[in-house]
Amino acid sequence: MVSTTASVTVAARRTSWADILFWSRRNKTIIGGMVILLALVTVALIAPWIADDPLGFEPTNRLKRPSEVFLFGTDQFGRDVYSRVIYGTRISLIVGLSVALVATAIGLALGVLCGYYKRVDAVAMRFMDGLMAIPAILLAIALITLMKASLFIVIIAISIPEIPRVARLVRSVVLTVRGQPYIEAAIASGTRNLTIMWRHILPNTVAPLIVQATYVCASAILTEAGLSFLGAGTPPEIPSWGNVMSLGRTFFQIAPWIIFFPGIFLAVTVLAINLVGDGLRDTLDPRIARRM
Amino acid sequence: MTAVAPAVSAPIAAPAHAETILSVRDLRTQFFTRDGVVRAVDGVSFDLKRGETLCIVGESGCGKSVTALSILGLIPAGAGRIVGGSVRFEGTELTTLSEAEMRRIRGNRISMIFQEPMTSLNPVFTVGQQIAESVSIHQGLNRRQAWDRAIEMLSLVKIADPKRRAGEYPHQLSGGMRQRVMIAIALACNPQVLIADEPTTALDVTIQAQILNLMLELKDRLGTAIILITHDLGVVAETAQRVIVMYAGRKAEEAAVDELFRHPIHPYTRGLMASIPRRSAAGRRSQVRGRLQEITGIVPSLREEIPGCAFAPRCGFAVDRCTREQPPFEAHRPAHFAACWEAARVVGTPR
Amino acid sequence: MTAYIVRRLIATIPVMVVVALFVFFLLHLTPGDPAAVIAGDDASPAEIEGVRRKLGLDLPIWQQFGIYAWNLLQGDLGTSIFSNLPVLTLVKQRLEPTIVLALATLFVAVAFAIPMGVLAAWKARSFVDRLVMGFSVLGFAVPVFLFGYVLIYVFAIQLRWLPVQGYRPLAMGLDQTLRSIALPAFALGMTYMALIARITRASMLEVLSEDYIRTAHAKGVAQKSVLLRHALKNAAVPIVTVIGIGLALLISGVVITETVFNIPGLGRLTVDAILKRDYPIIQGLIILFAGAKVMVNLAIDLSYTFFDPRIRY
Repeated sequence: MVSTTASVTVAARRTSWADILFWSRRNKTIIGGMVILLALVTVALIAPWIADDPLGFEPTNRLKRPSEVFLFGTDQFGRDVYSRVIYGTRISLIVGLSVALVATAIGLALGVLCGYYKRVDAVAMRFMDGLMAIPAILLAIALITLMKASLFIVIIAISIPEIPRVARLVRSVVLTVRGQPYIEAAIASGTRNLTIMWRHILPNTVAPLIVQATYVCASAILTEAGLSFLGAGTPPEIPSWGNVMSLGRTFFQIAPWIIFFPGIFLAVTVLAINLVGDGLRDTLDPRIARRM
Repeated sequence: MTAVAPAVSAPIAAPAHAETILSVRDLRTQFFTRDGVVRAVDGVSFDLKRGETLCIVGESGCGKSVTALSILGLIPAGAGRIVGGSVRFEGTELTTLSEAEMRRIRGNRISMIFQEPMTSLNPVFTVGQQIAESVSIHQGLNRRQAWDRAIEMLSLVKIADPKRRAGEYPHQLSGGMRQRVMIAIALACNPQVLIADEPTTALDVTIQAQILNLMLELKDRLGTAIILITHDLGVVAETAQRVIVMYAGRKAEEAAVDELFRHPIHPYTRGLMASIPRRSAAGRRSQVRGRLQEITGIVPSLREEIPGCAFAPRCGFAVDRCTREQPPFEAHRPAHFAACWEAARVVGTPR
Repeated sequence: MTAYIVRRLIATIPVMVVVALFVFFLLHLTPGDPAAVIAGDDASPAEIEGVRRKLGLDLPIWQQFGIYAWNLLQGDLGTSIFSNLPVLTLVKQRLEPTIVLALATLFVAVAFAIPMGVLAAWKARSFVDRLVMGFSVLGFAVPVFLFGYVLIYVFAIQLRWLPVQGYRPLAMGLDQTLRSIALPAFALGMTYMALIARITRASMLEVLSEDYIRTAHAKGVAQKSVLLRHALKNAAVPIVTVIGIGLALLISGVVITETVFNIPGLGRLTVDAILKRDYPIIQGLIILFAGAKVMVNLAIDLSYTFFDPRIRY
């Protein structure tokens, strides 16, 4: 992101470098989060080259301590925890990104409709209230138990409880913007509803939506790990961090590494996304920044 | 210091020989902002005598409020601090007192009233609680006694039905009543000095006179000396015994009130007087359009050091020297001081 | 006030109806035969038929919902498929550990977070402030099931100060209960603490710049009293709101925490029900938790009148 800004403005390279320096100094949190995320994405992409088969097991190597051979030790089936954690990065990033996209897209559509059409609003918001009253993790559990567990179902199940939160945010922005005189003017001059939504209302939702999406992404990764940890998430044969940790439960007293290494990766990932989110919020909306 | 209220001194009209209770010398207060140092108060000195009413007048941003806050040691730490000078109260140097010692003076021996009665009272406590808090801190009264004292103070500031009002919250009172409550809080411990920072500015014109009269009446009854900070010369004329005119963190002129209004010396003081509408006998403003003059130019930035007279850029009498050398604050008439190089020429020019 | 409470209670009816509808139709919207799903993959046709009969799944769907809703209104949350016990009975058996855990967590979180937030706001932009904010960022990132195991590792396995896992009921003595609940409460309270500390700091910062705080200083009120009496009470409404939001978060956390620490509460009941596909239990717990959440929200709104005399219902 930083480098593209620089290469696009070659003509004014000097000032743009200074600008970037200034910007990044004021946005240490974003830079920090971005660097960690970039590293994680790289790890996920090159996993086949830096890790062994996450499913391969050797019963002779059960519950080995971390060593030069097994960097993060092995689990009770003799599987290499390091390889499983490295491949787990893929699962977490896919889940986080997918849920953020699904929840934001549906939430945005619903929010705009609710903010724009009063009749839709009355019905949809009652439904959202009900949905929000159900604890997210229970809702996801209920959905997953009833369907055949797969990564796709997990993503859908985690997305559903996030949708009302996004929809509410968008709705409040739309309601504020809709009350503005220039929207009234556009309606009065016969502009089509779709045009108004696209031209005037959507652009206003972008900033808060991006910030919200980062938080949804972080919370989705945590929820997936939590569900898998409980044994109600991603199918156990997929090496997600939560699944790895779930297996470590029984042997925690003798083999704590099975839980600690994936746990640390999980925490660092969520931390990085939250840092980007906090930084974006401070940059995009100074009003909120002052309060938080 | 004792926990008992000091005896109320007899009503006095501040005779010239009265003893000085507050003495400010060369006070300098600076704020440290990202854009540099702001010299909000830049060498201010004055004395306050027992039972006297002293007005400090000037435009907003001239340092009058900061002077008041400096006396009480209320400059927010981290934002700014007193960098020089002394404040002596009854012989005690205040600028070097510890925070705990200073707290025993605040609200007890020296009190302060603020400009915004709407926001200066705590919205989640009853007004009775807020008055009682003051007396229970400083006079060690128990709950019951403090509450009785609160009701007593409310009736002293002429709030009808004080027993009921004491149990009400600030949002249930009007602006004028809230300012009366502020006065009650400030006077609850019989302070020697009351600093009132624009106490009537936020109020309706009709309420303004009531509040001022109340303050003056209580001053006479309790013998409290008052420092009244205002930008309104009308208020000055009605209340003050002595006046200090401030400009850009410095004193421009100082004299007894009649003397100042009859023979203003500093061009800034003259400008101020020319820019206000005269008050009719009823105390209401009679706007006479086209006859008011404004002082041209803008208040100088306090971020840079001003070598000469701060008013020089806006002054019609300014000469070369005014922008280079700071004029001394000296007597130009008996007991009438001003900081102006060209005082003689200014006085010679008809207003 | 009473009128307001009644109005609010009436307003919760549509919410709970949506929850009930959702929980009920979820079972029927899933692809395939719900009886087969509940009976599990290895069930014989006869077993599936048994489940169908027991849950009344052979009746027309609206009739099923009618029966379900009628039972709900009478306080009947359904019957467990496996143990054949009413869900409510199972819930009652498991209620104590969960309530003790929730209260302990609430206490730990509030007791630590509010002083932290107040301190951070008072010393804004100082080292202490950065420390508190850093902790709060970390608190959002570290999941209960990592922090919980870290606590077990340090305090139970290495230092041997506290029991590793398990719950001692109140009947065994309060000190036993507290010892068994200390680590879970801290593990679960971490995120919650971060949340409350953050909002306390933000709310206090706003209040500390108010005119009445200057008035308090001018009255000679001591710093401690300015912060804790004059400022905190004014800052309370957003803090209490977030405590309410956090309680909802806590419900999700309870499920995981009870698994980490092997506490036989409602969370364990949920997880066991999932593993056995005991759907009526999951349904009942969702209704129960949703109801609890709605009631907490009402309680929070009512508590505003206590903190701010300007709010009247």
